Amino acid sequence: MKLRLALVPTLGLLTMLLAPATRAEPLEDVEAIVARANLAAYYAGDDGRSEARMLITDAQGRQQLRQFTVLRRNRAPGGDQDFMVFFSRPSDVRGTVFLVAKHVERDDDRWLYLPGLDLVRRISAGDKRTSFVGSHFFYEDVSGRNPADDRHSLLETTAEHYVLESVPRDPRTVEFTRYVTRVDRNTFLPVKTEYYDGRDRVYRVMEVLGVEEIGGHPTVTRSRISDPLAGASTLMEFRYTEYDVGLPTDIFSERFLRTPPVDWLRRSGE
Amino acid sequence: MRAHPLALAALAAILASIPAAAVATDADDDPFAAFDEDWDDPWATRGGGLSWSGFAEAGLGTRWHKVDNLDRLTLGELRLRAETRYDHGPFRVDFKGDLSWDQVADDLDGELRELALSFSPGRRVDLKLGRQVLTWGTGDLLFLNDLFPKDFISFFAGRDEDYLKSPSDTARVSVFSPAFNLDFAWTPRFTPDNYLYGERFAFWIPALGASGAPAEPRRADEPTNGEVALRLFRTEGATEYALYAYRGRWKQPLGVDATGAPRFPRLQSWGGSVRRPLHRGIFNAEVAWYDSLDDRDGSDPATPNSELRLLGGYEQELVRNLTLGTQFYAERIQHHERLRASAPDPATVRDRWRTVATLRLTHRALQDRLTSSFFLFASPTDADFYLRPAVSWRHDDHWLVTGGVNLFGGRDEFTFFGQLEDNSNGWIRLRYYY
Repeated sequence: MKLRLALVPTLGLLTMLLAPATRAEPLEDVEAIVARANLAAYYAGDDGRSEARMLITDAQGRQQLRQFTVLRRNRAPGGDQDFMVFFSRPSDVRGTVFLVAKHVERDDDRWLYLPGLDLVRRISAGDKRTSFVGSHFFYEDVSGRNPADDRHSLLETTAEHYVLESVPRDPRTVEFTRYVTRVDRNTFLPVKTEYYDGRDRVYRVMEVLGVEEIGGHPTVTRSRISDPLAGASTLMEFRYTEYDVGLPTDIFSERFLRTPPVDWLRRSGE
Repeated sequence: MRAHPLALAALAAILASIPAAAVATDADDDPFAAFDEDWDDPWATRGGGLSWSGFAEAGLGTRWHKVDNLDRLTLGELRLRAETRYDHGPFRVDFKGDLSWDQVADDLDGELRELALSFSPGRRVDLKLGRQVLTWGTGDLLFLNDLFPKDFISFFAGRDEDYLKSPSDTARVSVFSPAFNLDFAWTPRFTPDNYLYGERFAFWIPALGASGAPAEPRRADEPTNGEVALRLFRTEGATEYALYAYRGRWKQPLGVDATGAPRFPRLQSWGGSVRRPLHRGIFNAEVAWYDSLDDRDGSDPATPNSELRLLGGYEQELVRNLTLGTQFYAERIQHHERLRASAPDPATVRDRWRTVATLRLTHRALQDRLTSSFFLFASPTDADFYLRPAVSWRHDDHWLVTGGVNLFGGRDEFTFFGQLEDNSNGWIRLRYYY
């Protein structure tokens, strides 16, 4: 006990020197925490490029793979954004492209390009909490859920996390009754989210399994969404992430659904 | 018949090359290790040569009623698909090809679905030259301004929906600007739909006064003139607008020449479309004016009349994983009274208006592995319908099994879907993606 007491000031000093943020007074305004978490999770840099893989494991232990490249551009920090997802694996979805114009003030606009038919299909805004290409991630997990769609409260502030509870403003549009998020006090990344169903069971869990600092931004490199009731999950891994690559604004258009912008999709230096 | 074992051998070769699944590798922390695949840059231009993908597929389908001159099989094939892409500097070449043994036609057939060169000669210009599939317009399985070739035989036989669109040898020029975008597609040699001609499916034969299959396939000569299609489009906020124009020919041989053989009359069309979110779904509307250049006054019974075509549609997720789409479509004959007056058999002349309502329900379950869909075309004016339910099971990243039914029916034998009644069939396909 004595030993530990003695160590505390030293460690504290060290932490202060290394990461001043940890010693900052904890935030108390839940909206401010939610806003910072939203920025940290979805708005790093002015734009970004990343490659991702998903490993989908079903209740029987069978595994499937998805691989894709994501381009993102912020129109305003915390505001509207454009996303484009180019699938390269497996071969039945190769060449499929998903385009989202995410809006804060209104429903997102979403398109899917199907190369076999050369078809640009528009997807309605309603079904964004459905499986993203057969994984346990939802479309909404890829581009981010609008913080204004839920009411948030701060349940607890621990040494490492803000623990938030969120309740949907319109319960008819979602499958959860509430979700509890642990936000890292240091990076403001949401590191664990548990979704509760109508019987107050945790039926969906998002966990961050790896974080790296890339271009000055703490970046989630590995995360998992699991369905504990079914015993199934999807692991997502991001690699080759770059920020502020200078994506032109017109990339996010029908033109580049049909003709992938290879120069921007390719890893830098290749 | 000689080629049959060849196709089987090709299929066997593909199936034999399936990698031994999920061999446990070193227990490092790479959860993807079981896939035994490097994380290559899928967009890299260098190294490793071409990357091939595709599928092998076996399909079987059969009609419910026997029809003279037609095989009982509507689908009986082994198909091998290969796809690749080659990038060289600013140039890109896409290739998609099929090799298939078709038991109905008793034929081994190679089909080039895509072989096209793409590049951008200017910052705002894209070119795609060669064989390619083209699609535009807002309809769901209803096409007004999309006058690119379609393969209705594949569609009715239960092949994958991708095969509804046939490729054409086309030069496509796209120009992009902040005000609007332009697509211009020039097909030097007219490419018609793959229409019903009497090999696999029965259709209304006026001379017979009945639906059936002619003893000799009823094919039309394909004119060698070209066709051009144009689209001007822009997206403003959430709303997509487009204007269309086309000059070429009716894509089906709806005309009759002096010898009584079918022919492709000339066609010019103009149109527009809009698509935007509405309530919780997507609304679309489209209009097209089909100007039948060979019979502008509508008095020639051997040439189709000019027509106005209208479409309105709406799609929305009803409940989670269940999506509903509905459309209302109408065609209006321009000079209906002249058509009636000059028709050899006025009893089988269609009404001035032909309307079709469609309903699509799509349900996805078990993490998108089980997809059930239901598509109904129903015409109140023709009193006929076409129903196509299908179920597909995606077992894993490689195996897909799909089965469905094409059910046609109607009060009369000469209407659009009614003439197809004897073609009702069921089908199943097993596909392996590599």
